[in-house]
Amino acid sequence: MEIPTQRLNISRILIWVILFGVITIILYSSLPSSIWPWLGQRLSVFATVFLGIFIEALPFLLMGTLSSGLVEVFLSDDWLARSAPRRALPAALVGASLGLIFPICECGTVPLARRLFRKGLPLPAGISFLLAAPVLNPIVILSTATAFGWGRMLLWRLGLSLLMAVSVGLAFSIEKDSANILRAPIFPIESIVLHTYSANETFLQKIQQALVISADEFFEMGRYLVLGALLAAILQTFISQSSLLAVGSGPILSVLIMLALAVLLSICSTVDAFIALGFLGTFSFGSVLSFLVFGPMVDIKSILMFLQVFRRKTVFYLVLLPLLMSLLAGLAFNYFYA
Amino acid sequence: MSIRLYRFLQAFILFALVVFIGFKLISGTLSLYINMQYMPLTVFGIIMLAIMTFVVLQHLESKTDEDEHHDSGHYHDISPSALIILIVPLLIGVLIPVHPLDATAASTRGMNVSAPLVGTLQTREFQSAADTRNILDWIVIFNSTDDLSPYVGQTARVTGFVYHDPRLPANQFIVSRFVITCCTADASAIGMIVNWNQSADLKESSWVEVKGPVQASKLGGQPIPLIEATYVQSTPQPDQPYLYP
Repeated sequence: MEIPTQRLNISRILIWVILFGVITIILYSSLPSSIWPWLGQRLSVFATVFLGIFIEALPFLLMGTLSSGLVEVFLSDDWLARSAPRRALPAALVGASLGLIFPICECGTVPLARRLFRKGLPLPAGISFLLAAPVLNPIVILSTATAFGWGRMLLWRLGLSLLMAVSVGLAFSIEKDSANILRAPIFPIESIVLHTYSANETFLQKIQQALVISADEFFEMGRYLVLGALLAAILQTFISQSSLLAVGSGPILSVLIMLALAVLLSICSTVDAFIALGFLGTFSFGSVLSFLVFGPMVDIKSILMFLQVFRRKTVFYLVLLPLLMSLLAGLAFNYFYA
Repeated sequence: MSIRLYRFLQAFILFALVVFIGFKLISGTLSLYINMQYMPLTVFGIIMLAIMTFVVLQHLESKTDEDEHHDSGHYHDISPSALIILIVPLLIGVLIPVHPLDATAASTRGMNVSAPLVGTLQTREFQSAADTRNILDWIVIFNSTDDLSPYVGQTARVTGFVYHDPRLPANQFIVSRFVITCCTADASAIGMIVNWNQSADLKESSWVEVKGPVQASKLGGQPIPLIEATYVQSTPQPDQPYLYP
């Protein structure tokens, strides 16, 4: 029964390859020859930017999948379900501060959050963790402080991220049945590895299992990192930043532009503070703050990874709620704080 | 796809990534992609990938398809798309020649005249001898000092690539460098205007060394240093084409 689907996949891939070849030949023969040097230069810029994002994010993704594998093997299912707070608000608060124990960026939170959900972590806690952990963790606090100093930017970033993560977590606590929120896993991770953990397994065997699980998850989540990095690199290569900056003045438009940049650039939360610093000369405090709050919660990579874990409607709200709150915060700062 | 084949391909791609990134690390081309300050993280990544390769292979050895079939109910769900997509970085890395960001990238990103990272002010630039300052040092000085009089007239000697900014007249060009904070995703081009009669003869993106007294100028309303070049000489691309704040 598995053979038909497999054949289908191969023939589908073949069709894509042939289509790609045909389109390439048509383009090659019909476009003016002067476009090729232009395209070649862009292509090398694209490759350099893409590999930059990929190589830089890779260790963080690996840290996330490693934590996920270790959690799967060493954290017993009932312990988490028993000790996690039942009521929504404490659960959301605990979830939001979990990042202080698992210092990972947004490339790593999604695999870990999914694993924790399956271990019985309450929904509000998991959602808050997903949104807050990329900011409320030691590495990001340190990098933000390095860029902006131990001042108001750092405090507002941490405070707003906590507030937004907890309120989105609470909003999702209304839904009692997590099947309406979470997507059934396409990729049966635990079925690939042995899922019977007998008590007499050695420590080494457990580590081995954890690593096989991390490898599977690396492939599953890694493809979204690759796709996100491809998209971000294409945008950075072909859309000129100065044209964005030119329209980026004004209290409302500047916030909108910075929010768009947060999504499109898809920069890792551990280092986005340094990039934001570069914008501070051109953009207002409120718009840079909205970039720093929204970027770690939602960007191209994380949207693609969210889609793997949550139902589409959930992802829609997971993007919309933080977006509106960041917009509100940015506007409020531009009008009342500047 | 059988689980054994899947595992084998997985191990193969993991190992290819180890070789690919390991080669970039050893050959020094890693610095064309990321700020070398983060190199330890990359080393961690390579080690993790190598361990994973080893463990996945061992896992493959220790079981037959039969075993896996008993352990697992529905492995026909394994999709080859994850394998294919993770080959993409390898293909891009192997097929597209390694090239640092140059004037092409500067033209899309625009010249960032107001220095990035002015916030991370260090005082070292201010005490350093004029001819040891790089372009970033000069830009930081021009963006963080109100009274430029001590610096105007000092002789600068900087290396960078040629960028013909459309806003400049024919006898001027920008000697430019990219500043990398984390990786090439956050690269921003900075530069100094150079007054040089043969500017038009200089090839875009070629590397030059420029020497001459510094003047204060403006580009797009922002203060920018200008070099009255006494000489402009072509020079090979430095081992570290980017500057790090």
